[in-house]
Amino acid sequence: MIALLPDWVEPVFRYMLEVGLRNTLRTAAISLLTSTVIGVLLGTLITIRFWPTQALIRLYIEIWRGLPIIVTLFLIHFAVPTLVPRFRFDPFTSGIITLTLWGSAQIAEATRGAVQSIPREQHEAASALGFGWVGRHSFVIFPQALRRLIPPLVSLLVAIILNTTLIQVIGGSELLETGEQSVERLAAPPPSGIFQIHAFEIYGAVAFAFFVMCFPLTRLAGWLERRLVA
Amino acid sequence: MLVGITYDLGSYVSENWEFLLRGLGRTLLVSAIAIGGALVIGAVLGAARAHRVPVISQLASAYVELIRNTPILVQIFFLYFALPQPIGPWPGVRLDVFTVAWLAVMIWGGAFNTENFRAGFEAVPWRFREGALALGFGRVATFLNVTLPIGGRIALPSSINTYIAVLKNTALLYVISYEELTTSALQVNALTLETAETFTVLGAVYLALVWSLSAGIRGLEGRLALPESR
Repeated sequence: MIALLPDWVEPVFRYMLEVGLRNTLRTAAISLLTSTVIGVLLGTLITIRFWPTQALIRLYIEIWRGLPIIVTLFLIHFAVPTLVPRFRFDPFTSGIITLTLWGSAQIAEATRGAVQSIPREQHEAASALGFGWVGRHSFVIFPQALRRLIPPLVSLLVAIILNTTLIQVIGGSELLETGEQSVERLAAPPPSGIFQIHAFEIYGAVAFAFFVMCFPLTRLAGWLERRLVA
Repeated sequence: MLVGITYDLGSYVSENWEFLLRGLGRTLLVSAIAIGGALVIGAVLGAARAHRVPVISQLASAYVELIRNTPILVQIFFLYFALPQPIGPWPGVRLDVFTVAWLAVMIWGGAFNTENFRAGFEAVPWRFREGALALGFGRVATFLNVTLPIGGRIALPSSINTYIAVLKNTALLYVISYEELTTSALQVNALTLETAETFTVLGAVYLALVWSLSAGIRGLEGRLALPESR
């Protein structure tokens, strides 16, 4: 089977998998983690009836959910360093910050809904047992809210994996960027290239790789939704 | 010269408003075409999915899963860079930037809208359709007079969310240099280096559009609820 493929395929796909896919998965994993931690924290805090924090968190959620993610990415990568020169990041760090701002806003909103869906009696019972606010939320409310949070978390993972491709726009070598580099290299004259255009095969392969990663997760999210929430 | 130290939003807007307004016009034009197309695709394929029309339903499902589980950036790349490549008997199709612009976001929106409308049509209580059939309506007339108006009403909030996402996704057309709002703003930025002003305007315009549409959904939700579920 391998012998049937043209010579250019092996080095290109090795590069796309070893560099591109690796960076895509690493970025997605870190962004999911930071989004979840910050999102759960903000989503729990917004349930406290104290208007200044509620207004601030609401503003955070609405801004980062409202802006197109690519605009946020340009803001972090190009605009922030002109104002604060210390905050100049490499493409992946900018990408992780951007995806975290967007993802945490999504999770904060989902967490707020999940925490508020827990009946009042649970809060009262936990307080009666001597739990403070932190203990009550960590050991009583959040574990129950988590059940409602798992489907949106899986959906968020899919969205984050898909959105890591935006890092291509600012030049980070994630999967799409390694594909684009390969297309351009192959189209170049020898010795670096072979004067051939293989955009169809390479972008097709990139799409296929994302589909293979995301389709099972999308199915899982749907299944969890039916099972856990209903 | 000290660049980026002064912040003068007034002169920035008065010097660049015409150029930025043309960009905004293209954003709105592409969004309008794509939203119109997504509405038709969603209603037709959503109906095929909900009524399990053989063949069309399976094809629609494949289309939805393919689009939902691959990055829209890869879809744009595929339409713009991969389709023109001739492969075997396929001569390749070269689409101009504007066509790729509206087509890419329309295909994306149509896939999500198919799901919105499928869910909407499936939520129409069976007895409503049974009533229409008992009154002598045919299957098509039942769909047009009962399922479509009621199911469309149920699907409206989620489909408006899709339209908002379509509007935000037009910012990605930056990668094919289609001069919509984001591309225009970054071009102005490259000339003037007034980065803070550029992002203030860019962010404010997108948030104004997205927030007013979201407020529209919340306004509609109460009015559109079916009388019996109130």
